[in-house]
Amino acid sequence: MPVNEGFVPKIQVFEPHRASLPPLIPYLKEFWTRRAFASELARFGDKAEYLDSRLGKVWLVLNPLLLGMVYYLVVTIIRPGGSVSGMTRLDHLLIGLFTFYFAQNCVTAGALSITSGGRLILNQAFPRALLPFSSAIQAFQQFLPTIPVYIFVLLAGKWAYPTTIVPGWTWNFLWIPFILICTGLTGFGLALVFATLNVYFRDTTKLLTYITRIWMYLSPVLWLPSSLRGNMKILLWINPLGPVLNATSRVWVSGESLTQPVVLGCILWAVASIVIGGYFFISRERDFAIRL
Amino acid sequence: MPDDLAIRIENLSITYKVSLEAKRTMKNALMRASLKQKERTRIIEAVKGLTLDVPHGSVLGIVGSNGAGKSTLMRCIAGILSPTEGRVVVNGKISTLLALGVGFNPALSGRDNIILGGLASGLNMDEIAEKTDEIAEFAALPDGFIDLPVRTYSSGMYGRLSFAVAVSMTPDILLLDEALSAGDAAFKEKSFERMRQLCAEARTILIVSHALATVTDLCDTAIWMHKGAMVAKGKPEEIVDGYLKFLNVGSLPSNYEDM
Repeated sequence: MPVNEGFVPKIQVFEPHRASLPPLIPYLKEFWTRRAFASELARFGDKAEYLDSRLGKVWLVLNPLLLGMVYYLVVTIIRPGGSVSGMTRLDHLLIGLFTFYFAQNCVTAGALSITSGGRLILNQAFPRALLPFSSAIQAFQQFLPTIPVYIFVLLAGKWAYPTTIVPGWTWNFLWIPFILICTGLTGFGLALVFATLNVYFRDTTKLLTYITRIWMYLSPVLWLPSSLRGNMKILLWINPLGPVLNATSRVWVSGESLTQPVVLGCILWAVASIVIGGYFFISRERDFAIRL
Repeated sequence: MPDDLAIRIENLSITYKVSLEAKRTMKNALMRASLKQKERTRIIEAVKGLTLDVPHGSVLGIVGSNGAGKSTLMRCIAGILSPTEGRVVVNGKISTLLALGVGFNPALSGRDNIILGGLASGLNMDEIAEKTDEIAEFAALPDGFIDLPVRTYSSGMYGRLSFAVAVSMTPDILLLDEALSAGDAAFKEKSFERMRQLCAEARTILIVSHALATVTDLCDTAIWMHKGAMVAKGKPEEIVDGYLKFLNVGSLPSNYEDM
């Protein structure tokens, strides 16, 4: 009973290579046919992570909620008052934070996926991009429980402060899958870059801790996109997560549609991250087994 | 490549550069750059000019001391490492058992790890579902252990489960590196039986082993590797005899230069 019949060619030839891409079509077909490996690795990784915890998967909800409360306190103490109501600011902060952490978890877990998957890489042949892809799936699985948390906070806010503006049902919510796909692709693309760098320089993940912190302060999470003036507005475009976080705030908090530049910004960053990250990673992945 | 060959290796060399630094970091790279120093490295010639044909249905044993390049050769045939020179042509689907428990997560149950190990080996979910009971039965775990975390297993149980997952694939070509050392005498006999069954199904098997009896019992051909080169190829008994003499005397056969 052959394995992966129809995808991996029956005759395989292994020859010397330079830092160039392997034949992409067989690579992508193999990646696609083994996607269950990435999703199950993510599912079991999640299961193992919370197996010994008394609260188990409740932490998936508690973590972002507590984090949101901490940042809300920080933001309201630093910048009390202002033209935006407290509840609107909390809604923006929570959904921005959850979306940012989805992308951040893709990047940080993905960056470690190759160096921590040494035994797999040394002993099995498979498209190495499956490991950061698995981290991206796991980050998405950890993001999903934050959606009901956000909706709960939104409704609780409306109940406690009836003047709070809560968007009713609108077709603009159909932009949400688009935003999440762009966030996931951007995070996965950046994970490919950092996973490769981490193979060559093992202190990359230490540096990443500071990069992600600065990245969050430069992203429209703790501040509203509308608060930027003049040249500072460029922050929304040069930041890979700028357009998706801007879009997140517009759709989730205000129920507004997306403007054409925001849609284009989301697509461009997602495509650029995947293309650049993919090239950087796939052209070097045949060296990983030697460098681990 | 002729149809009767499973593997053709042509003038294969695998060389790699290892850093002599304890850890490669950005900090060290920046410091070296500022001092205009080069990284201290060492070139390792793991495999040197190896040429070999392996016909379909044969069982090839590979013997040699530590550092002979046996595992590097296996990884290259599996497509894990790339050649530096020459080429490897493989005709058929490969399954590898180069280390025990690859893809396993010690916190998860045996049943979960069968899924993870099976997917890592290239099986799909339907095939794994179909084979889970068969794998558990082959691994001969005590009652109830299949649903316990594998960190609670003895090393023998762990090895048996890993081996059972790897041989469940019935691949065209199976690469084994010291895997037959898993389990007790009874399990070894069962493993041998499974190997013979795979051979009877015209599968090709490559075995790296320090247990020389394994090579003489199971293989129909053997090669002896020393410092990356193939010293000899022939009948397993002759190769093992030559290798044992070398271990006792410490000198290579006179025809080494010709190989």
